[in-house]
Amino acid sequence: MADRILSDFEISYIKQGVLADMRSDGRSCRDYRSFELRSGIVSNTSGSAEIKLERTNILVGVKAEIGQPNPLNPNKGRIEFFVDCSALASPKFEGRRGEDLGRNLAHRLSDLYENSNCIDLESLSIIPGQDCWIIYVDALVLEYSGGVLDCLSIAVKGALANTKIPKLTVIGEGEEQEIEISDNPFDSTSIDTNNVPVFVSLSLIGNQFIVDASHEEEACSLCQLSVGVNHKGSICSILKEGAGSFKHRQYNEAISLASEIGVSVIEKITLTNNTAPEKML
Amino acid sequence: MADFEYLSPEGLRSDGRRPQELRVLSCNISHCLQADGSAYLQQGNTRVIATVYGPHDVSRRSEAQHDKAFINCQFSMATFSTSERKKRPTGDKSCLETSLALKKTFEAAILTDTYPHSKIDIFVQILQSDGSDKAVSINAITMALIDAGIPMKDYVCATSVTLINDTPIVDLNYFEERGPGPELIVGTLPKSGKIVFLQVNSRLHIDNMEKVLKEGMNGNQRVHTILDTLIKKHLEKSILT
Amino acid sequence: MALKGEPHYVAPGDVITANLGFMRGHGTYESDGKLLASVAGVVERVNRLLCVHPLKSKYNGEIGDVVVGRIIEVQQKRWKVETSSRLDSVLNLSSINLPGGVLRRRSAEDEVMIRDYLKEGDLISAEVQQVNSDGSLSLHTRSLKYGKLTEGTLVTVSPSLVKRCKNHFHNLLCGASLILGNNGYIWISPIILDDHQQEQMRFQLPSTPGSSSVKTVTHVATIEERETIARLRNCILALAQSRILLYDTTVQYAYDASLKYEVKE
Repeated sequence: MADRILSDFEISYIKQGVLADMRSDGRSCRDYRSFELRSGIVSNTSGSAEIKLERTNILVGVKAEIGQPNPLNPNKGRIEFFVDCSALASPKFEGRRGEDLGRNLAHRLSDLYENSNCIDLESLSIIPGQDCWIIYVDALVLEYSGGVLDCLSIAVKGALANTKIPKLTVIGEGEEQEIEISDNPFDSTSIDTNNVPVFVSLSLIGNQFIVDASHEEEACSLCQLSVGVNHKGSICSILKEGAGSFKHRQYNEAISLASEIGVSVIEKITLTNNTAPEKML
Repeated sequence: MADFEYLSPEGLRSDGRRPQELRVLSCNISHCLQADGSAYLQQGNTRVIATVYGPHDVSRRSEAQHDKAFINCQFSMATFSTSERKKRPTGDKSCLETSLALKKTFEAAILTDTYPHSKIDIFVQILQSDGSDKAVSINAITMALIDAGIPMKDYVCATSVTLINDTPIVDLNYFEERGPGPELIVGTLPKSGKIVFLQVNSRLHIDNMEKVLKEGMNGNQRVHTILDTLIKKHLEKSILT
Repeated sequence: MALKGEPHYVAPGDVITANLGFMRGHGTYESDGKLLASVAGVVERVNRLLCVHPLKSKYNGEIGDVVVGRIIEVQQKRWKVETSSRLDSVLNLSSINLPGGVLRRRSAEDEVMIRDYLKEGDLISAEVQQVNSDGSLSLHTRSLKYGKLTEGTLVTVSPSLVKRCKNHFHNLLCGASLILGNNGYIWISPIILDDHQQEQMRFQLPSTPGSSSVKTVTHVATIEERETIARLRNCILALAQSRILLYDTTVQYAYDASLKYEVKE
């Protein structure tokens, strides 16, 4: 994801800064930038959320539709992720050029959710083998300035927490079962997102891992470690990206740092979700 | 048509508006700080973000024109913007067609000869669709271009119009767009009254054309007044200290 | 026209004046014998010249401006520099100061070693030498104060926020050095007092031709300097957000006011 070119001097300045624990904007290696999360913004959806972290802005909309379950898991519902790196974020995402990145991000998210078993998919099943709820999670990257994966996971968690699935009743038996969806907009269930993890990305600069890298820092990091952390601090998923390598000890430190940060981020999200949803303008 | 009453006997529409009344318009200029110019526009429940990058150097030699700027436009709709989920945000035929139409419209409005050899990128994204997507997009792009400081002849204001029971109705919402009447979208340069964008879907009798077009242009004048007030307020607020 | 003392706000298409005695400047166009605005901004009148300055625009270079730019392309005898203007600027091989400060003709050897002087990604401070016919800018670094930028960090703001002054190189009292590029690129670095040291730091010819890179002596910034630089960076971004004109005194005041907060805020 690093695409900015920096001069050698800038890179060495950033590296030295990381060593001294004083980054370009004054943060230490462990500091996360403050972000703003708003939910319930788009009205055409079952749930939505928007995250703003410095200059990264992601909008997530969730739609619940009825469809057929996966033949391998007839008793479970489905969650499908789609990430659109919009050209708004940068001219280099114009046309189909943003698709690769978008697909990559969507894939990471779906891996995370599958591996951590955080959403009760069985509760989304309506008629086993025939109908189930399919939750389409669509993310739109509006502004792009580093830390996309983290912001994406936070916004998706917020949007899912905000999602309302209409209640329905199954009438009839056997082959002629029919579904009746409740017309009352208040008659709905929400998805339990307590166990949903978020990604905490750590970037290796020199020999030190830093949290929440800015765009420039991402450009000079050797590799990134994306760690999925849930509210208990347990690690749900780890992925290494990039060409660099690190020692065992650094890895241990990084993981415990990610765990700490993940918990505090999730606390902040829970706090935001409990306050009343705001409209966008 | 049977169940749905587009125009009540008292002359009110489904959302309580009068036939010539526009939806509430609000706009946030400079919404995205990364872009050179941007605007978030909301007309009723239709929400659009437009961003402008440029003018900057061309990325491909083929795009460089010696006497004017190259304008590039991309129109896309978020997958969650419509009530039924859209599979592809952009790249399908209707988006490509709209992108091209918008590009031509703004080529007529932007003073492209001030920037030879450069390129101006315009990107517009529909976040929530409730009718008049194209018209609202045009208004949003106008605001984004003004924010970027790109010289233009005039604002480009657009509205959608249809004809129900012989009454022209302006600024359509989702249901009215899919109603029985023809849909006409007209974009004009308000000061001179010149038309820069015109699209008519479905049949419209030639006798009614004049009436419908006139209402559309009146609607554009009203949109212009609103947008102009917003820009002047933004200028007053943001003038350098 | 507006009343005296009140700024005249215009938007595209607005009539500025119907009086043909005025000359038209930037941001205006003529139609039907009237002078109309083409951008949204404030009308400025200098004698008989009327122009409109928009709030935000790409950098329009003028001769003598100091800019900070990034090398994006290395061509045969010149570099393409990105300066946030509508066309990329050009820096010719003949317009730079060769190491050693020697005045000599550029030879074929120099063309081959062009990447050793400046390569893609490097940041430079330069002055606008001329504005070419297509609107692009030609830069030069023919003075000891210009050249490759070393230790420090770059902040980007809108070009309209940087005030045109006599001097764009400031050594602030707080212990950092500031270069306010007219194109909105601002370079913050630790203070370097010795001119000779500065010259040494930028270019050092490799001992034998053909060796891969130019060795440079880097000055490693101390943690206090880093803190100052980080604080300045945050101050400048805050000033930019509040649309306050940037020059050395505003930055200095902002810095002093920010001392009661922690740097990361």
